[in-house]
Amino acid sequence: MSAAGTSSADQLAARQQRTAQVRRFMRRREPPLVIVTLLVFGVTTLLKPGFGASNNVSFMLATAMPLAVLAVGQTVVCLVRGIDLSVAPVLGIAAVSTGFLAQDHGDSVWSMIPLAIGIGIGLGFVNGLFITYARIPPIIATLGTYTVYSGVQQLICNSATVVTLPTQYEAVGIHDFIAPIPWLVIPGIVVTVVMALILRRTKWGRSLYAFGNNADASYRAGIRVNFVQLSAYTVCGTLAGLGGLVYLCKYTSAGYVSGEDISIQLQSIACVLIGGTTLTGGKGGVVGSFIAAIFLTVVLEAVIVLKINFDWENAVVGVLLLAAILVDAYQNRQGASMRYSLGRMFLSRPTARTGATS
Amino acid sequence: MSVEVAKAPRARRRGRFDTDDRWMVSLVILLVVELLYFNLGISSFWGGGWGGATSFLGESESFLYGSMVALGVMFVIFAGDIDLSVGYMASFAGVMMAEFHIGGMNIWIASVLSVVIAAVIGAVQGLVITYFKLESLLVTLAGGYILNSAAVAWEGPVPPYNFPNSYDSALGTGTLSSAIQIPNQLIIFAVLAVFATLLVHRTRFGRQLVLVGHNRHAAAYAGVRVSLTRIRAFALSATFSAIAGMCLAANYGTARDDLGPVLLLPAITCVVLGGVDIFGGRGRVAGVIIATFIIGWLTPGLLDDGVNDTWTLMAPGILLLAALTIRGVVERGKGVTFRDKLEARFGPTGGAVAAPTAAAPGGGGEQNVP
Repeated sequence: MSAAGTSSADQLAARQQRTAQVRRFMRRREPPLVIVTLLVFGVTTLLKPGFGASNNVSFMLATAMPLAVLAVGQTVVCLVRGIDLSVAPVLGIAAVSTGFLAQDHGDSVWSMIPLAIGIGIGLGFVNGLFITYARIPPIIATLGTYTVYSGVQQLICNSATVVTLPTQYEAVGIHDFIAPIPWLVIPGIVVTVVMALILRRTKWGRSLYAFGNNADASYRAGIRVNFVQLSAYTVCGTLAGLGGLVYLCKYTSAGYVSGEDISIQLQSIACVLIGGTTLTGGKGGVVGSFIAAIFLTVVLEAVIVLKINFDWENAVVGVLLLAAILVDAYQNRQGASMRYSLGRMFLSRPTARTGATS
Repeated sequence: MSVEVAKAPRARRRGRFDTDDRWMVSLVILLVVELLYFNLGISSFWGGGWGGATSFLGESESFLYGSMVALGVMFVIFAGDIDLSVGYMASFAGVMMAEFHIGGMNIWIASVLSVVIAAVIGAVQGLVITYFKLESLLVTLAGGYILNSAAVAWEGPVPPYNFPNSYDSALGTGTLSSAIQIPNQLIIFAVLAVFATLLVHRTRFGRQLVLVGHNRHAAAYAGVRVSLTRIRAFALSATFSAIAGMCLAANYGTARDDLGPVLLLPAITCVVLGGVDIFGGRGRVAGVIIATFIIGWLTPGLLDDGVNDTWTLMAPGILLLAALTIRGVVERGKGVTFRDKLEARFGPTGGAVAAPTAAAPGGGGEQNVP
């Protein structure tokens, strides 16, 4: 075989491989989501130039961050086939607890991080206990703890609200790190990157995917299924607690409605699904959820700026959610039908099968 | 996963006192104890006997529309799905009825029309779920969002109010007669409850509904039209929610977007406390009916008892978690011998007994019919 022939064949193979890589990359949820976000942003900026202004970008990113932190936690739970309906009151409890301490004693943001995380760990752990050891289905268990945690939040507030915080909180919540990027983005990105690395690179992270894919098989493969579930809910609670602190900085107030007032509960689930994680477990990742939180915020802000009747805000979330799951279903079906038709083609003539794989 | 297989030995056997029966008895005892405690202990709860707006029967007006929503969502849960749009549906139906009425339509015709339209919307949701093979949780979540927005946009800045007095009285705050002061809502609920009981336990559709929830594959192979059954369940759920929406509007004398959504979580709580398996295929309608009264009277009772209203709000959640934890602990030991446990751990795979220890309770996603 001549050298020229080999190189052209190599080139062809390389090109095919690249095309396949690109196609695989685009079949992930994150790249199209980024493109759509930029499209929405671009079109809205063309129509209303103020939308693209630096301070508005900063505002939108900061608004997205409590949601993003919560969505990352929710993703971890969805990976193990669960759902956490109690994230809003966990966020609320963390926000009011840290808020009242800061209001009364003037503690700094940094000293509040352990408290917020500790509250989250405790409440998430309780969720996990009910689900793992009492064997209550996740949706029911977290529904029950949702009611209880909401009550606890009201008890802590005792019909008072956090109104005056040390200026440091406002500085963190509103000011920019570099021009259009607010300080609040940093915890969001840190949480996302750390969780993404943990999920992909550690034994614990991979066992979450294994458990979500097939609980029975992962048990027989020696994974400590109870621990995996319990820890997933604890992590979700932890991030919800941290989200409470982010919320406090962003809104510089907290009360018994914190968490409920921005319907963050259902939006966090919507983000998880828009970001490509499925509720059936074992598929997806936190990066998609992070991008989805920004995407959702940008779309909702665009709705306001374009003066579409704001009554339709929730409908926008609903339609986006439906679109996301329809795309999921379409991709799954496409894959299945392709395999199905290939199988039909080659099953009748077994010799052709070997030819096809080469 | 073989979780579905694991349920088979627990299936109901005629003529035996099984765990479902035991659960029903517990619920009845709980309701009786609750009523005795509140009625004997607190004079304001008893409120001067049977009837009257201040008595505990009159108090039932404050939760009966929620009970109707619970009955509706029960059908969907029986079929192994879940409907998160019920509360939004109730509000939307109320707003729809009110807007039709403002547009000049007779209020009764408007009500019937709204219920029918709601049923169609519910069926469409079911169609989307079954045709595209999507998770009911997500589709109804999205549908709920859309219905909520539609209600907000339709009602405008001032929610419609000022219905005819006869309407408010018939569906809302009225009683049977001035002598027998049984709330009208209680009678409507009783009719719906009897209808639901007969439908689930005495008709072919009901048996198919439970079978679809118990094992979708088996139902499909048995010739049950699985998708149609599920769509019907969603239509029923929407119908019951819409009726609840009418009662809600009549009770408050106004139709608003924010009256309904709060009904969702209590409704699911009632269904689960009533002993219906959240993954479908198991339970009794009577249990749900009793559970709605237990939870319904708990709030006014505790308030009359002088309990802090925050604790009162938490009580249903605590009750739910405690009940399910106890049930889980009691049932897990039932019928499983030490040898079964050994076999489950060390025996060959695929056995029916192996599943409970190996499989965690995770979501219901495995029930998707190919």
